[in-house]
This record gives sequence, C-alpha cells and structure tokens, in this order.
Amino acid sequence: MVLSRALLSLAAVHLLAAALAAAPASGSIRGRVLLLREPGPVAIRPSVAELGMPRTPEAPDRRRSVVYLETAPQRAFEEHGGARARLDQRNESFVPYVLPVIVGTTVDFPNSDRTYHNVFSLSKARRFDLGRYGRGQSKAVRFDRPGVVRVFCDIHSHMSAFILVFAHRFFAVTDAEGRYRIDGVPSGTYTVVAWNDGQERETRTVQVNEGAAAELDFVVR
Amino acid sequence: MTGGRVRTFVLAFALSGGGAFAAEPMSLGGLRLTLGGEVSGSLSPRDRGFFNDTGYERNPLHLLRLRLTAELRAGERLAGLAEVRSEDLAAPRVYALYVRVRPWSRRSFDLQAGLVPPVFGAHLRRSYGPDNLLIGEPLAYQYLSTLRADALPATPDELLGQRGAGWRTNYGSAPAAPGLPLVSGVRWDAGLQARWHGERVEAAAALTQGTLSQPRVREDNGGKQVSGRVAWRPLTGFVLGVSGARGDYASDRSATSAVVPASCCRQQAWGADAEYSAGHGLLRAEAVWSAWGVAAWRAPLRARGMSIEGRYKLMPGLYVAARACRLGFSRLTGAAGTMPWDAPATRLEAGLGYSLRRNLVLKAVFQHNARDGGRRRPRNDLGAGQVLWWF
Repeated sequence: MVLSRALLSLAAVHLLAAALAAAPASGSIRGRVLLLREPGPVAIRPSVAELGMPRTPEAPDRRRSVVYLETAPQRAFEEHGGARARLDQRNESFVPYVLPVIVGTTVDFPNSDRTYHNVFSLSKARRFDLGRYGRGQSKAVRFDRPGVVRVFCDIHSHMSAFILVFAHRFFAVTDAEGRYRIDGVPSGTYTVVAWNDGQERETRTVQVNEGAAAELDFVVR
Repeated sequence: MTGGRVRTFVLAFALSGGGAFAAEPMSLGGLRLTLGGEVSGSLSPRDRGFFNDTGYERNPLHLLRLRLTAELRAGERLAGLAEVRSEDLAAPRVYALYVRVRPWSRRSFDLQAGLVPPVFGAHLRRSYGPDNLLIGEPLAYQYLSTLRADALPATPDELLGQRGAGWRTNYGSAPAAPGLPLVSGVRWDAGLQARWHGERVEAAAALTQGTLSQPRVREDNGGKQVSGRVAWRPLTGFVLGVSGARGDYASDRSATSAVVPASCCRQQAWGADAEYSAGHGLLRAEAVWSAWGVAAWRAPLRARGMSIEGRYKLMPGLYVAARACRLGFSRLTGAAGTMPWDAPATRLEAGLGYSLRRNLVLKAVFQHNARDGGRRRPRNDLGAGQVLWWF
C-alpha cells in the first residue's frame, strides 16, 4: 500500500530532516479536504442463508480524511509512547472509521453491542486477533510500528476500520466539514498528504513560516 | 451456459469486485443491488469408498465451486435474493431465489418466499466456505443412505442388499442412482418461510414442496413439508436450537413393485444443535434423527446423525479445527438376519486454516472414514487441501 510505504519511510528519512530540528520557531498548516464524490453506503455482503432481514449497521463515517506530513523534523520522532486511544464497536460498526495514532499508542477496543465481536488484523504493521468477547468488555493492543493497520471483525464481515500509525505527531483528522489543522510545525517546506478511505488521495507542498498558518486545501475526486 | 462462458464471466466479475469487501452497492432507479461471491478449489485423492459423494455425484474434497450471490433491495423492508452456483465448471444452477419481506418495520418478523434457506438445524446456513471450519461436511448433511425417493425397495432383503452403497443404489427396474442423505446440503426447498426473533429467542417455520432429504422446486407427490426451529440464546455466544420437520419424500412415480398407498412415504425428523464460543475457541454440536416411512413394510427406517466440531485460533490468521461424526441406522430383519438397514458410518476430520488475506484462506485437512459393513471399501483415509476466496 502506498501509504504504508510512506509511513514506513518516515523512519528512514528522518535523518535527512534533521537540519530542520534546529529551527524551534513554528507555525501551523490548516485547510480543508473537499470530497467531490460522496462515499457510497456500506457494502454488506449479501447472505442468502439468513432467515430474515439482517440488522442495518451504523454507517461508518468514510468522509473523514487524515492529513499528514510526509517528512518531519527529527525531534518529532522522539515524541512517542504512553498515549491511549479508543476504537469502539457499536451497532456493528467500528467508531471511528479512521483512527490516526502515534507509534507507542495503546488502542482500546470496547464492545458496546449486545452481540459478540472479534477484532483482528492481518496487516504487516500489526497482526493481532483479540478473540470473541461480549458487551461491556474491552481488549487493548499497542502499536509499535508505523504503517496502516486494517481492522476487521471476524463475525461481521461488513465491519472494518483503519488505524494509521505514524512515526511523528504531525497529522490531523478532518472534522465533519472536512477541516483540519496541524499545529506546532517548525518553519520549513513540507510535503503534505491527504488520505481518505484507504488511499493517499493528493500530495502537495507547503511553506510554513514562523507564527503563521499556511492554508492548504485538497480536492479528492 | 458453457463451461468457457462460465469461466469468463466469473473471472470478469471477480476482477471487478476484487478486494476484501462486497462490491459497493449499485443504484438501479431506487433499488440497490449488492453482489458477493465465493470461489473455492479443493483437491484430494480419489475417494474410493464414496464416503464424500453428494447428491450431485460430486465430492466436496475434490471440487471447484463458484458462487455468486445478489441482493436487490427496495428500502428496508423488501429485498430479492439469489445465488447461482457452478461446480467443476458445469452449467450454473440456481441455489437460492426468493423474496424477503418485513411486513411491519417495528417488528422483527420476516417472510421469505421462493427457493428459501432451510430452517431445520444449524449447519446448512453456515456451510459456506468461511463458515465451514473444515473442507468436508457433517455426515448427516452429506452422506448418501441407500434409500431413494424415486425407487423404493419392495422387500427388506432388497434394501439390505444395498447396504453401504448409497452413492449408487439399485431397486427393481430403476436405473442406478444416488440415495438420500438425512438432510440435503446441496439444494434448497421451495416454499414459504416465516421468522420472528426477540432478544434471546428466534423462531422460524416453513411450508415447502419437498423434504429435508429431498428438497424440490415442484412437488411430485401431493404432499408438503412443515418444518420449524426454535433457538434460544441464554448467554452471548451460546445458542441452543431444536428443529422438526415432516413431509412426504417419495415421488408418485416411484419405481417399485410394492403397492404404494397415498402419503405412505413420509419423512419425519428432529434436530438439536448447540454452539458455544468465547475468546479464541468455538464449539458446535448437532444431532439429527430421521425416520422414513416405506411402502412395503410398516416400521419406518430410522437414522441418526451426530456431529461435534471445534476450532481454536492459534495466532492471527491461523486456526486448528476438528470434527467427529457418526451416522447410525435402525435394525431391519431380512433373510440373512437382523442388521442396520444401511451400514453405519463414522468420520473424523481434522485440519488447519491459514488466512493469507482476510478473504483468502488456505485449508488442509486429514479425513478418516469408516463404514461398518456394506459392499464397498469399509475404510478410507484422505488428505485434502482447499483454497478459498470470497468477496
């Protein structure tokens, strides 16, 4: 996966960005990711063996995008560990649909449904299988390698989510209007990537100046 | 449709819908069409004991199976569903074709009409590749007994003479043909079905043309089958079910020398099933008791099939599984003495599954089969492998 390569490459290229580490002054990047195509409804694999209408699961919010710096100052790679995040299982859907975290983060997977769920991933960045557990129970996984982790439920094939594990902290997830903001970015020129629904959608370059907010919009077709 | 055309069609569809998910729904003037499918290829040495033959004279351990399913939805309360299958690239067959209706939006009550899924038992609704822990099937849902719907034995000796030869039985002047399983796993029945479910209880009933062992699109004996199942979930991950079915299985055109009174030949069956899962383990057990009336003598022919199976995930993507089955038959007296009317059979199957991707699974199994008597090889041990891909 392209994004996976990009995230993994962060660790390799961070020395090249070391020169930027000497620049303490910072600014921010903000803007909007505009999706030209409305994401379709969740695709539930048709099952002719059901004896009646299956439950309608909660639709995942596939409009959320993640914007991140392709390269980052070296000191950003030293800010790891200890963080905690949550990926809920609710109405036969993972909430949120996309969860960006920094390396070293532990993600909790609570089950808020009345049925069993079985969270698992076969992604190279993190393979795990939490087994079946019921309502009110939660299990956790720590993510120590950057990359894209695709998460599924072994019982409900329509359930899926993305965990994006970054080696630095310069990323943001868009809000309901598609807006994002990345703060504390040292002055310099950066390649910024907009990611949506499993793919890198657009890559652009931006200049960040001390105390200023660089505007950068993306259009995803 | 020719084999070549089937290949082209399936390949084109697979490529277009590739990936880990069902193809995105397509809008068709207010309707929503969703497609799904499954391709599985199994390979094993020849089953010289014919333990794995199905009613279509194929062997699940040595089979290329293509399945294409479609759902056309009109809102939240009406849908049409269909499944087409091709086995070993033969002409596709319609396996399921029915309409699903939810009459009241606030009640968990559904009606299905057409070629509908069976309500009896639990295995048939999870016989798809990803749900079947192994490659073979439980004996009760696959093994062919020596009883036929289209040719009835005239005497006990005629029936006993066929013991252990269910894949190819001979009665009277009828040409040799496969016998009946307790419950057919290779085709579904046509009729009307209703299902209600609450928080912990689910109840389903159906009125169909054929019977469990002989599902039919068009009835051929003037009788209908009534079947039902009640399932109870006392705990999350724990399901108990009981099932029953009753219907006329023999064709009016049965070739027999016996006098066949109307509705003499009825199949009655009871089933019990249980499933428990927690953590990385899963355990299932199922029992089927069946009795078939025959024209030539009063006592029905009884059979019982038992199976227990389990799975444990060793690590992400890798599991081990095993199943033990036993099929027994009631005793019948003939000139040679009293004995089970068909040769009892035992199957032990164990293996593992490994997911290369979420929707690409490799399975490898070892299967031991034994038959207590009969004309054909009493034992057969087989190894088999399967590649399974679904979307």
